[in-house]
Amino acid sequence: MRIHHSLAARLSLLFALVSVLLLGSIGAYLYHTLNREIAWRDDQMLRGRLERMETLLDGGESIAALRQRPQLYANMLGNRDSLLWVLDTKGNVLIEVNPGNLPVPDLLASEGVRLDNVRGESPARVAWQTFEQDGRSLTLVAGKLLDERRQMLAAYRLRLWLALAAGALFAFLLGWGVSRRGLRPLRRLSEQANRIDMHHLNRRLDIDREAKEIVALSHGLNRMLHRLEGGFSQLFRHSADMAHELRTPLTNLLGQTQHTLRRERSAEEYRQVLESNIEEYERLSRMIDSMLLLARTANPLKEIPREVVDLRLLVEQLCEYFEGMAEDEGRRLVNQSNGTILANRDLLRRALANLIANALRYGRFETPIHIGTSNIEGWVKLWVHNYGEALSPDDLPRVFERFYRCDPARTSLANSGGLGLAIVRSIAQWHDGDVQVESHSEKGTTFTLWLPCTPNV
Amino acid sequence: MHILVVEDEHKTADYLSKGLSESGYRVEVGRDGYEAWYLIEECEFDLIILDVMLPGLDGWQLLKRIRRRSQVPVLFLTARDAVEYRVKGLELGADDYLIKPFSFVELLARVRTLRRRGPVREAEYFRVADLEMDVLRRRVTRQGERIGLTNKEFALLELFLDREGEVLSRTYIASRVWQMNFDSDTNVVEVAVRRLRAKVDDAYTPKLIHTERGMGYVLEARA
Repeated sequence: MRIHHSLAARLSLLFALVSVLLLGSIGAYLYHTLNREIAWRDDQMLRGRLERMETLLDGGESIAALRQRPQLYANMLGNRDSLLWVLDTKGNVLIEVNPGNLPVPDLLASEGVRLDNVRGESPARVAWQTFEQDGRSLTLVAGKLLDERRQMLAAYRLRLWLALAAGALFAFLLGWGVSRRGLRPLRRLSEQANRIDMHHLNRRLDIDREAKEIVALSHGLNRMLHRLEGGFSQLFRHSADMAHELRTPLTNLLGQTQHTLRRERSAEEYRQVLESNIEEYERLSRMIDSMLLLARTANPLKEIPREVVDLRLLVEQLCEYFEGMAEDEGRRLVNQSNGTILANRDLLRRALANLIANALRYGRFETPIHIGTSNIEGWVKLWVHNYGEALSPDDLPRVFERFYRCDPARTSLANSGGLGLAIVRSIAQWHDGDVQVESHSEKGTTFTLWLPCTPNV
Repeated sequence: MHILVVEDEHKTADYLSKGLSESGYRVEVGRDGYEAWYLIEECEFDLIILDVMLPGLDGWQLLKRIRRRSQVPVLFLTARDAVEYRVKGLELGADDYLIKPFSFVELLARVRTLRRRGPVREAEYFRVADLEMDVLRRRVTRQGERIGLTNKEFALLELFLDREGEVLSRTYIASRVWQMNFDSDTNVVEVAVRRLRAKVDDAYTPKLIHTERGMGYVLEARA
């Protein structure tokens, strides 16, 4: 398991990191405070010592007498790490207490008390002061070896580090526990999600009794499941529909051919059967063609190639194509379109051809069919209008579904097998647009393709 | 003309072989890529019809090999109509393609086109029986009488005359005359042919435009 793949491990590590930062800061602060405090107290002590020595010397004790009786000041010093020098102006040592055998520090004469660190093999802190006694200038130096202080601080630091490490470890373990517990809803979620598969797409994630964040996630996932379930059931329905639609031509082919073979027939009869078969084959071929186009447009893996299409020209071509059919029925195709659009020419032509074929199929004889365009706020509207019987309000939302037929009695061999309008919608959607239909018994029926002026490429 | 059909599906191979033979071509059939390659090395062919889904050496590999040694026209057949497929085939050096299912008439038309490959000069004048067309002056006469045609009727008749004696399928006509490259599932072509006949054929004998049921139309002077 890689660390960043486990939320619990990641959270625990973050806990530990936060603890280290926090404990470390506190430790560093305490350490420095302590260090300063000890230094201040040492300095105070050195000053005190200087004062006492001065008092001793002022009290009439001569240097010589003091040298004779070292216990006078030795008592005062007590410790093994204390230093004391009394120097004359030339730097000669008059009195010395120096257990560490330090060299006499080189110090500037000073009226007041001065403090400084002495570096070297055994570092020390010294305080000194120069004053007059019996007409001569003496320098009093009191000092303290820093060894002990350092050892103490080192021990303290070690304890701080140990505490820090222990704290971090503790925080990590605590964090692990807390995260595991805190992430339990996620595990429940994944268990629930695991129970959802192709055959149980109707299952949903339980959203009661869960934390706010999980509820939001579950809602999102449930919505996704809802869409997927819709898509899948549509897919299943399409497959079933297609299988059913294929049965009709196959039944004709099978029945007709078997019937013909039951006895000897004239060449002309065989010929007729074969010709009729061709019509059925072509119907099958068209259906497969349409299904493939739908499959491609409904699941566009790729951006479609687009070009600038002159709409007036495109519609003109289509009008020429359908002209003969229209005239036969006493109808006219009126091209009212203009402008250009960035689209796939072949697909757009196909969509419009399907709409016009539809208008010819369902429009009333002796009425014109209008094809026009208009621009509305970044959209190009391409519409095909015909007069004729209105579509019922029940049918309107469903006419774009595959294999949907408003009136089962109206199907004929020439029909597109109920895929024509589905293809129109699919093509519109592939262009990031849509298609809509309005129908009215007097105003007629209008199919409108909405296509964006500048598609999101 | 000697044609090699490379197709592993027996029924398809058989009917292609029969159909092409009946149309006057000499046909050999290769059932897989290696057999086809053997035949190509043995004989000279004027055209190769190649199914791309083959066992053994597949159609694309075979096509590459063929192109390394000759420029014989290759027409490939595929059941997949994804654009990449067509592009791939053409890039590898195929000259044309057909997507399954295709009509036999369509295949014959393609074969004839490939045979005539090279710069085809557009004809300027046609004459079949007593029907005459002057393409440049856009004049059509029958028995010397001028016939007025619309642009599309003219284009349709020109197509028939250019392909005199060949059966033209409805989809082919739709794509050549109106650039409708799909089966629009209407009887537009029937209507257009009927209207053209009304002008060109109805008042005259012999009839020149004939319907081949289930296949398409053909223009020819039949005795």
